[in-house]
Amino acid sequence: MAAANAHAVSDAEYAEVSGHRLLGFLFFLISDCVIFGNFIFSYLYLRNAAPLWPPVGIERPYLYLAAVNSIVLFGSGATMHYAMEGMRHDRRSQFIGYTLATIVLGSMFLGGQAYEYTHLLPHTTWAGTTFGASFYTLTGLHGFHVFIGVIFLIVVLLQTLRGTYTQERHFGLTAATLYWHFVDVIWVALFFLFYIY
Amino acid sequence: MLESIPTELRIIAFIGAVIVAVVALIALRGEWPKTRLEDHVTKIMMVLLTVGCIEVMLVAIGTIGRVK
Amino acid sequence: MSLTHVQLPASSHIHPPPDTFIKKYVFSLDHKVIAIQYFITAGLFLVFAGLLAELMRVQLMGPNNHVLSVAVFNQAYSLHGTAMVWLVGIPIVTGAFGNLIMPVQIGARDVAFPWLNMLSFWMLPVAGILVFASLLFGAPQAGWTEYPPVSLQLPLGESLSLWCAGVFVIGVSSTITGLNFLVTIVKMRAPGMTYTRMPLFVWATGVTAFLSMIATANLSAALAGLFIQHNFGVPFYDVTRGGAPVLWQHVFWFYSHPAVYILILPAFGIVSEVIPTFVRRPIFGYKAIAYSSAAIGLLSFMVWAHHMFTSGLQHWEQLFFMLLTMVIAVPTGIKIFSWVTTLWRGKIRLDSPLLFVLGFLSTFTLGGITGVMLASVPADAQEHASYFVVAHIHYVLFGGTIFGIFAGLYYWWPKMTGRMLDERLGKWHFWLMYIFFNLTFLPMHWAGLMGMPRRVATYDPMFAGTNLFVSISSFVLAASILIFIYNAYRSARYGEPAGPNPWGARTLEWMIPSPMPYYNFRDVPIVLSGPYDYGKPLPYANISQDLAMTPVR
Repeated sequence: MAAANAHAVSDAEYAEVSGHRLLGFLFFLISDCVIFGNFIFSYLYLRNAAPLWPPVGIERPYLYLAAVNSIVLFGSGATMHYAMEGMRHDRRSQFIGYTLATIVLGSMFLGGQAYEYTHLLPHTTWAGTTFGASFYTLTGLHGFHVFIGVIFLIVVLLQTLRGTYTQERHFGLTAATLYWHFVDVIWVALFFLFYIY
Repeated sequence: MLESIPTELRIIAFIGAVIVAVVALIALRGEWPKTRLEDHVTKIMMVLLTVGCIEVMLVAIGTIGRVK
Repeated sequence: MSLTHVQLPASSHIHPPPDTFIKKYVFSLDHKVIAIQYFITAGLFLVFAGLLAELMRVQLMGPNNHVLSVAVFNQAYSLHGTAMVWLVGIPIVTGAFGNLIMPVQIGARDVAFPWLNMLSFWMLPVAGILVFASLLFGAPQAGWTEYPPVSLQLPLGESLSLWCAGVFVIGVSSTITGLNFLVTIVKMRAPGMTYTRMPLFVWATGVTAFLSMIATANLSAALAGLFIQHNFGVPFYDVTRGGAPVLWQHVFWFYSHPAVYILILPAFGIVSEVIPTFVRRPIFGYKAIAYSSAAIGLLSFMVWAHHMFTSGLQHWEQLFFMLLTMVIAVPTGIKIFSWVTTLWRGKIRLDSPLLFVLGFLSTFTLGGITGVMLASVPADAQEHASYFVVAHIHYVLFGGTIFGIFAGLYYWWPKMTGRMLDERLGKWHFWLMYIFFNLTFLPMHWAGLMGMPRRVATYDPMFAGTNLFVSISSFVLAASILIFIYNAYRSARYGEPAGPNPWGARTLEWMIPSPMPYYNFRDVPIVLSGPYDYGKPLPYANISQDLAMTPVR
């Protein structure tokens, strides 16, 4: 199948191949959900098996910083939606501006996570108890996905500036937006599992 | 240091959650009539985003969320 | 039916063929070339894994042999299982057969993502090198299931990390292939091919792809947990710090049970293709076979803990998994009934493909029956980790998957290579393999019930006679594969040229020349009805009439 370069193929072919890629990308996100689901199962299993939770000597992560950090991430989901709306209505500056905002907010989220890991959890280590094992593995995996997402967004932003995407042909942007929403939704679950439950 | 700022953080979290939730619901209303697969996925994401904001709102006012 | 409103796919033009050697044979994007690459690479791993088995059988010829040390024996069965499941079985049934046949059977020019397809293939040799490199440091010794804490306790050096990395890589390959195949089947069927007009091999590949895509992600997570515990001390499975060894069993088997269905479903698909062709009758119960495949796929996620009946599960858990495991035998039984009914009172052509199918039907059914026996919790308490289990798994995996693979190889060899295999050699191969397969694995049922444990390098002398018999039978079994290798070589040198349709079959791959041209179909075919209605005209439009009139051999 010829690569659906935005300039080299007919509109009908681009639309058809984009349909394939969309389904493939959604399947990829579903399998990624399964990975998170597996680690979440492990966390709940270990938590259920533990006599005390958090284990002795382990502090709970700081709730209110995480709450603010969550809003930063959720807000970035909203900005990304409006970025896509800009591309769909051929308003490039709207797309560029909101995508930049998303990148900034996503990076702020990562900064918040890094601060939490290094300053707010002095007794909780990855290799210490099952609390640290579950917490750092799951939030770390999520943070890694956010990091990849930020890279993805920077790449599509640069591609947009080079003119790769148009109002009609922008599958890469659709994929980046869906990925960003996915990362957001996973955090909804993780925030509940570690800070509320 | 941390003991003095939880109230500020809670206020920021609550107001932020309200703003983002409202924006998400407005976006949802705009997306509602669209029919393609990626639009359905976007709608689901907006709903879940709103759920997340409600989570944060309830945490900010102290109804749920474990501090200890 | 009017053909004036058929919408041909927009992306189905033929693009220029690859020109350089590298693009044609090394980094090919053509699903048929990738399939052959999978066959050759997985075939090599089959030889390694088979040799490991024979090495074990030499050690087991006597109750207290010193041919292999205990450590080497443990490494042998661990790598034998690892390689057979992940480097041979799954790559051949998905990467080789799925790639070779499925796109053509749905009338497509290739899979949805050819570049990802090529990437998936190249992950196989990388994974194999990583896994076998573990031998340099003393391979892992806790079986292909590598249960902690044992898998973490032995002096391992780097090898557990290498094992984890290798299996992780092949897991990613499998996930990508599953995703690729599922998008292909959903989106790229030829005009007129509704789901209920798809060949049953495509149904099988589709369900397998779904399983590959969803289940394998769990393996990745499980392996990551084991890797970070081994290398960074993260205590998922360490009971002294709050972890749980049983957790590994849960996450490992949640993947590995669907994995065995990944191994068998394509073989079911192959059987469903071969039987109608060699009886020249419509398959009985097309929808039953199709929907039962989907049912098996879904149920396969709900039975994993039947591998854990002796691990301290709660009573209600044992009951739940016992009942569901017995239930999953029902859709499988439906298929066996449908296949047997298709054959019943038919004019059967006993050529090699069908012989291997008949071998499959007998051995897989027996393996299925012992599976239901194992599903019973009280029986499993006796049989778990004994040779009874070894017998069961080999009846379903060798008798099922491997015989299914040979049936498919004999069936599609002419299509893949343009030459026929020798039928006499095929019959020799079949009978030797079938008889000595049974002589090798049937006695293991009794050995297991009498108390011989699995994964042991030495055993009680009461089992000596049985083991000697089994070992000698296994040598002949292993030798029988040489007949196939010779047949393949002979076919390449002197084989009779095959036309487009030497078997007189009706699925789309038989409507194009052998070997298949790189673009598959000159024009995208249009499908008018299902493929198994022998006696009715061919259900395709846009197919060259020459191909349709090929006489039956």
